[in-house]
Amino acid sequence: MSKHKFTRACAALALTLVAGSSLAAEKKLTVGVADALTGGGAVYGLPQANAVKMAAEEINAAGGIKAGPDIYKIDVIAYDDKANPTEATNAVRKLIDRDGVKYILGFCCSGSTSAVASFIGNEKAVMLVGNAAERSITTKKIPNLVRTRPPADYTGQAAGTFIARKGQKRIAVLGALDVGFYAQYVDSVEREIKKVGGEIIAREVFSLKDRDMTPQLTKIRGLNPDAILVVGYVEPAAFVYRQAVELGMNIPRYGFTSGSEEQFLRVTTSEQMEGVWDLRPTELTLLSASKNGVAYHANYTKKYNASPSPSSPYAYDQLYALKAAIEAAGTAENTEAVAKALRNLAVPPQVVMQYQPVDGKMFDVNGQAYTSNGAFQWQKGKWVFVEDLPSDSKAYSQFLSTLK
Amino acid sequence: MNRILALLPWLLALALLAVLPQVLTVKYYLHLSILALIWVIVAQGQNLIQGFTGYVSIVQAGFMGIGAYGSTLMGLNFQWPLWATMIMAPLITALFALATGYPSLRVKGHYFAIVTLAFNLIIVIVLVNYSELTKGEAGISNIPKPWGGNREAFYYLALVLAASLTLLAALIARSRVGEILLAIRQNEDLVAALGIAAWKYKLFAFVISAMYAGLGGALYAHFQGFINPEIFGVAQSLDAILAVILGGSGTIAGPAIGAFLVVFLPELLRFADSFRLILYGLILVLATIFMPIGIVGIAKAAFARIIRREVRHGG
Repeated sequence: MSKHKFTRACAALALTLVAGSSLAAEKKLTVGVADALTGGGAVYGLPQANAVKMAAEEINAAGGIKAGPDIYKIDVIAYDDKANPTEATNAVRKLIDRDGVKYILGFCCSGSTSAVASFIGNEKAVMLVGNAAERSITTKKIPNLVRTRPPADYTGQAAGTFIARKGQKRIAVLGALDVGFYAQYVDSVEREIKKVGGEIIAREVFSLKDRDMTPQLTKIRGLNPDAILVVGYVEPAAFVYRQAVELGMNIPRYGFTSGSEEQFLRVTTSEQMEGVWDLRPTELTLLSASKNGVAYHANYTKKYNASPSPSSPYAYDQLYALKAAIEAAGTAENTEAVAKALRNLAVPPQVVMQYQPVDGKMFDVNGQAYTSNGAFQWQKGKWVFVEDLPSDSKAYSQFLSTLK
Repeated sequence: MNRILALLPWLLALALLAVLPQVLTVKYYLHLSILALIWVIVAQGQNLIQGFTGYVSIVQAGFMGIGAYGSTLMGLNFQWPLWATMIMAPLITALFALATGYPSLRVKGHYFAIVTLAFNLIIVIVLVNYSELTKGEAGISNIPKPWGGNREAFYYLALVLAASLTLLAALIARSRVGEILLAIRQNEDLVAALGIAAWKYKLFAFVISAMYAGLGGALYAHFQGFINPEIFGVAQSLDAILAVILGGSGTIAGPAIGAFLVVFLPELLRFADSFRLILYGLILVLATIFMPIGIVGIAKAAFARIIRREVRHGG
């Protein structure tokens, strides 16, 4: 080959490469977030919205989403739904009708999520639910809805087994029992402890805005329980832990709250929290985190100057699941194809939570993902991951499929 | 001639609202308009007891809840047709209002407000805890929607009902009953001294007000397709009061304008992000301080001032 011919061949090759790359047009994919950015639910919703924005920046920096010949850079619009059903409907209608958004993420709280879930099946959009734990969200077989967080009773069953193994028989419950998924959690705990002769001796209620729980605790103290179980949002639960110590209740304290160290320490001291158990999905804590989890914690803390809440990766993982599904479907325009791809998705390698796939898939036939459950204990100012809780995702998935 | 002039703004507003779905390209605004029309019905009811009779009731959202759950549960449990359950909703609400109104109206002023607030709390507690029937906090999904959820058709239904019930409120206000209600607001003791059984008229206003809310609740349920107790809490009752105050208490146009404000304002303020509710609260505080007679009151005063000036210049 002469020198000229070689140069021309190189030029042709370069031209082909340039032309080829220019065929992969760069487009913008707007994803919406509907979440509680203000009000009581903001302890969960705001970190979720932050997590989605962070994931979007990471994906964009790594080249975006490849869907067939197109490359998408992600743009995030977040609207506050105040964890209120009407506000959530308005926010999602705005995202779909006005902003033309096809993929909606976030959803920390059950009431607002259920309101949107009731009509999302009729829309050409895909809804990815995060922290909202009400079981019925994934019992309706909505084809364009998936959820990253397992339902509360899936975790409650594992928690009940753990408490039963600890040997406490008389458990007093104090919590937001008027909230459906907390009640479902407690019912599952009760079923498990009954198997070993245990019982729930009290079911005292606090509302999510209550701060003085001494009347309920005084009543519980009079019943002389072996342990208390606290289920509810972070702030009221923190007040319960603090006031139990102030009332001299020196018994094991179990909980289901998913609050970060920072969130608890706004209300109570580390000494007052010492020894408290949180029995919940194996969410983010540094000691339980995988390599992804450690990186997520560091990046989030650097970006937002605050630690991420343990449940915030549910939303972070949503965007990586969506990315993988769009790439698998080869399109971002056809939401039906993306929804189908989500149902057939293996767990993407970038996710933070430790998912337990069912039949090799991240989401089961109901659109539900399962994480492992863990027992975390407050030790010297930190949540320490102590052990995995026994959880059978496949059996639960089959049970979920039988519900309407 | 004067009557036609007085009707002109109403006819214009109605015409504007009638063509709205045809000119709105973004259906999100149609969604908000439907919610606002539902709130027009609720606020007109609130105005009957608050604006005309002078009794501030804090149970309007609770009554909405009774209408919403009543209609939904009759449809789901007895398979009654949607239209039948929607007609039944205000009637069921009226029964509850009769039962609660009789004891509530034995007290006046702040005491009445507190009693009705307690009723709203009780309604929410029952809705949350009687979960075998109401499905508790998780709420009821997939409530049937008329015309398969066609929003444009639902808009016209809401518009016809809101317009009809506004007309009914105006007829009540202009009737002898309306005059007695106004007299009760001015001086209840004097009304009693004239030998008029004021309690009957107060109960009438309270029950009719609840029926408006019950119908509004049923419309809400069949429009959104989802209800849970949170939607019918005290905060929403305060929104009904706010709609009446912002628009103009004791006027017919006021609650209609106020209803659109309480629905659209928080949505239009979304640009303010997490400061949205602070800004909303600030606007409400300023509006209440500087416009105690509401938008309609201010507009009327301004109009009267212009007329006076014209007459002075003309003479």
